[in-house]
Amino acid sequence: MKYTKLLFSLLIAFGLTMPLAAQAKSLGVGDPDDDAPIAALDMSKLSNPADNITTPEKAELGMLLYFDPRLGGDASVSCATCHNPKDGWAFGDSICRGYPGTVHWRNCQTVVNTGFYKKLFWAGSTPSLESQVFSAANGGVAGNGERDVMEARLEMIPEYVKRFKQVFGRPLPQIQDFARAVAAFERTLNDPNTPFDQYMRGDKKAMTKAAKRGMGLFNGKANCIECHNGHFFTDEKYYNIGVGAPPEFTESGMQQISFRFEIFAKGTKEKDYRTLKDDPGAYYRGKDPAMKGKWRTPTLRYLTFTPPYFHNGTAYTLEEVVDFYNNGGGENHFTKTAGNKTKILKKLGLSDGEKGDLVAFLESLTSKVQVRNDLVQSNPTLPSYAPLANDKYTVLPPSAKVPFYHYPNGKKAAFVSISVAGK
Amino acid sequence: MMKKKPVEENMKKLFWVPLMLAFVVGTTATAWAAPDIGPLPTIKYDKKKAALGKRLFYDPKLSGDAAISCASCHIAGKGFAEGVDLGKAYPGTKHFRNAPTLINTAQKKKAGIPWFWDGRIGTNLNDVTRNEIVETIVLNMDMRIMQERLKQQPDYVKMFKDVGFSEPSNGAVRKLIPEFLKSLQSKNVPFDQGKLSKSAKKGMKLFKGKANCIACHNGSMFSDGKAHILGVAENPKIFKDPLRHVTMKASNKFLGVQNQHNLRFDVGAHSVSKMADGSDYRSFMTPTLRELRDTAPYMHNGMLASLDDVINFYNNGGGIDPNKDRALKKLGLTKSEKGNLKAFLLSLSGDKLTGSKYVVSKKEIMNMMQPYKAIPNWHNTKN
Repeated sequence: MKYTKLLFSLLIAFGLTMPLAAQAKSLGVGDPDDDAPIAALDMSKLSNPADNITTPEKAELGMLLYFDPRLGGDASVSCATCHNPKDGWAFGDSICRGYPGTVHWRNCQTVVNTGFYKKLFWAGSTPSLESQVFSAANGGVAGNGERDVMEARLEMIPEYVKRFKQVFGRPLPQIQDFARAVAAFERTLNDPNTPFDQYMRGDKKAMTKAAKRGMGLFNGKANCIECHNGHFFTDEKYYNIGVGAPPEFTESGMQQISFRFEIFAKGTKEKDYRTLKDDPGAYYRGKDPAMKGKWRTPTLRYLTFTPPYFHNGTAYTLEEVVDFYNNGGGENHFTKTAGNKTKILKKLGLSDGEKGDLVAFLESLTSKVQVRNDLVQSNPTLPSYAPLANDKYTVLPPSAKVPFYHYPNGKKAAFVSISVAGK
Repeated sequence: MMKKKPVEENMKKLFWVPLMLAFVVGTTATAWAAPDIGPLPTIKYDKKKAALGKRLFYDPKLSGDAAISCASCHIAGKGFAEGVDLGKAYPGTKHFRNAPTLINTAQKKKAGIPWFWDGRIGTNLNDVTRNEIVETIVLNMDMRIMQERLKQQPDYVKMFKDVGFSEPSNGAVRKLIPEFLKSLQSKNVPFDQGKLSKSAKKGMKLFKGKANCIACHNGSMFSDGKAHILGVAENPKIFKDPLRHVTMKASNKFLGVQNQHNLRFDVGAHSVSKMADGSDYRSFMTPTLRELRDTAPYMHNGMLASLDDVINFYNNGGGIDPNKDRALKKLGLTKSEKGNLKAFLLSLSGDKLTGSKYVVSKKEIMNMMQPYKAIPNWHNTKN
C-alpha cells in the first residue's frame, strides 16, 4: 500500500509539474510548443492529397507545364522563370523579377521540398501547392495569366490534350488540372539524401567535424532549433525577427509601384496604405495588428543553392544570416510600432569558429548536386500549338445543308460544307 | 339583326384588334419603323480632361506588361480602327474580331447602341474603359498596378491634380479616357452639312429605298443597335492560327457559350442572347456607317476588304446562313446605282482626326516613356 500511495503521489506530482514546466519554458522563450528534434527528411510526411495523388505521368505533365510560358499572361514567363532550376529552383536576386513591366516585392523561394510545407508563401497564405499555383500564375506581378485564356491555350496544344486526357480522364484539359499536375511535379522535387540525412540514417562519416559541432550549436547555444525544428527544419509558425526593409523599396521606382500595389491589393486601411513603408507580412492573414512584420518560419533545407536569404533577400550569404542571429536579430518598422519582436532571439555570443561550424552544419542540409540536375542542365522541349481539326461541327438544325464556310466572291473556302447535323 | 349582336361578342372582336395590330407591326417593324437618318448632335466634354485622357489612351503603362496601349489597335490615321481584318490583341494572343472605329462612340449612349460586336456591354463608357483595360485578351491590366504606375510618375500626379482629381487613380482613369472618347466626334461631314454631291443624293435615295440599308443602319448613328445575321463568311485565319482560336475560345468560355471546342464559327451576339436552338448564332451588332472611309476592312471579322465588296455583298442579298436576316434580299443594283450608293456612304466621313488634339506629340511620348524614378525621401512621404 505504501508503495502504491507513493507511486500515486509521484504520478500526481509528475502530472501537475509537467504542464507547468512546459508552460514555463514557453513563456520564457515565446514559443508555446516543445521543439521536435531535427531528423532525417521523413518522406512519409510528403503531402499527397487524396484528390491529387502523384503519379509519374502526372508529374511528367506537370514538369512540362512548369516550364511552359503559355501558362501566363503574355506567354513570356513560366513557373521556371522565377523558380529557375539554375538558381536552386528559386530566383537568384534579393527580390523576384516578377511579370514583364513589373517587379515582385518579395524574395522568391525554392520549390524544392515544398511538398512538406503546410503553409506556403512567406506569409503562409496558402495551404496547398495546388492553390499556390494559381496565386502565382494569376497574380499581377507574377504570371498575370487568366484562367480562361490559359485553358484555351492548353486546348490548342494536341500533346497536352492527349496527356491531360490520359492523366485526368477528361476529354479536354481543365485549368484546375493544370494546377494539380504542377503540384504533383513539385512534390517530386525533394532533396532527402543530404549529408545531414545520411548522417542521421547512420552514416557517421557523412558530415564533417565542423558540421557536427555546428549541429551541437544549432540544438544548443545558438538555439536555432527553437523555430527550425523537426525533420523539415521549421515549426511553420509566425515570428517577427526584425529583418529590415530592403534597400530596393527606397531606391527603385518600379519597386515602389509594386509595394503600393501589394499593400493596396491585399486590403489595407487607407491610413496604412498612406503610411506603410515595409511589408507587414502575415498581417494580411487575419488583419491582426500584432501580426505585422511576422513571417512563417522557412525550412533550412536546400539553403546552399538558394541565396539571398530572408523574405526580402536582405542577407546574401549564410555568414550574414548567422551574424544576424548572433546579434539577436534586428529591428524593423514593426518591431518598433507593434513591439512584436520575438523574445526567442537573444545575443548568442558565438565565436568566429562557432559561426563557421554553424554555417558548415547549415550547408550539410543540402546535397552537393541539385535536385533534377537534368532539368538544371537543359529545359524540356515543349509541345507546339496546332490548329484544331476541321471535321468537328456544331450541332445545327437538320435544315442546315448549306456550304457554311465560303468567301463572298463565291469561291468555296478551305472549310468543308455541313451536310449532316450533329455530326 | 347585326345591330342586335350581344355587346360581349363585339368586345371579343375588339380584343383581337390590338393583337393583330401588334402582329402587323412586329412583322413589318424593320420596314417602316426605322428612325430617319440625320446629323449627329454635338456632345459636350471637358477639354482638359480629354487632353489627359488622350495621353492615357496612348500610354502603354495601361497594359499588363507595358507593351501596348489603346492606340495600338485604335489608330488615329485609320479612323481610330486598326486597318487590319483581325485585331492584334494582347501579346501572346491574337484577336478574333475586327477593331471597330472609336469615332462618335460616345453617341452610342443616346442612340442606345450597346458596345462590342456582340453588344455584351451597355453604353456606359466608364464600364467600357474598365472592361478593355482589364480584359485578358486586350490590355490584361490589373488596374491597381496601373494606378500605382501612374502615381509613380510626377507629371501624371500633377496633371491629375490639374483636372481636379486628388491623385492618379483607377476611378479617375475610367473617367478621363471616356472624356477623350467624347472628343472623338466627326468633323465637317458632307452628309451632316447637307453638302451632298448629285451622286451621293441619288445614293441616299437608294439607301432609304431600293437598297433598304436604312432598315438596320438608321438614326443619326446609322445603327439600330441590334444584332443581325448577314451570312458573312468566317475568317479562316481564326481557325488556321491557334493564337486566334485561343482568344475566341477564351471569350466563349468566359461568356458561357456551350460547345466551344467544336465551334468553327464566331457565335457573335449569341454570347448574350443564348438562344437554345442556336438561331442567334453569327448575329452581330449593326455597326455605325460613319467614318467608314478610313476603317476598312469591314464586318466583324474584316472579311470584306473594300466598300465595293460590301455593296456587292448586300446586292447579292448578303451571304449564306440558315438563319439569315429576312430583310436581306437581292437588290438588283445597276453599276451606276452601286457607284451612287458608295458616294453616299463616303459622304458620311468627315475630316481625319489626326491633329494634336487626337495624337500624342513626340514630346508627350518622351515624357510618357521615362523610366520610373524612386520617390525622393520615400520614408517620409505619404504613399
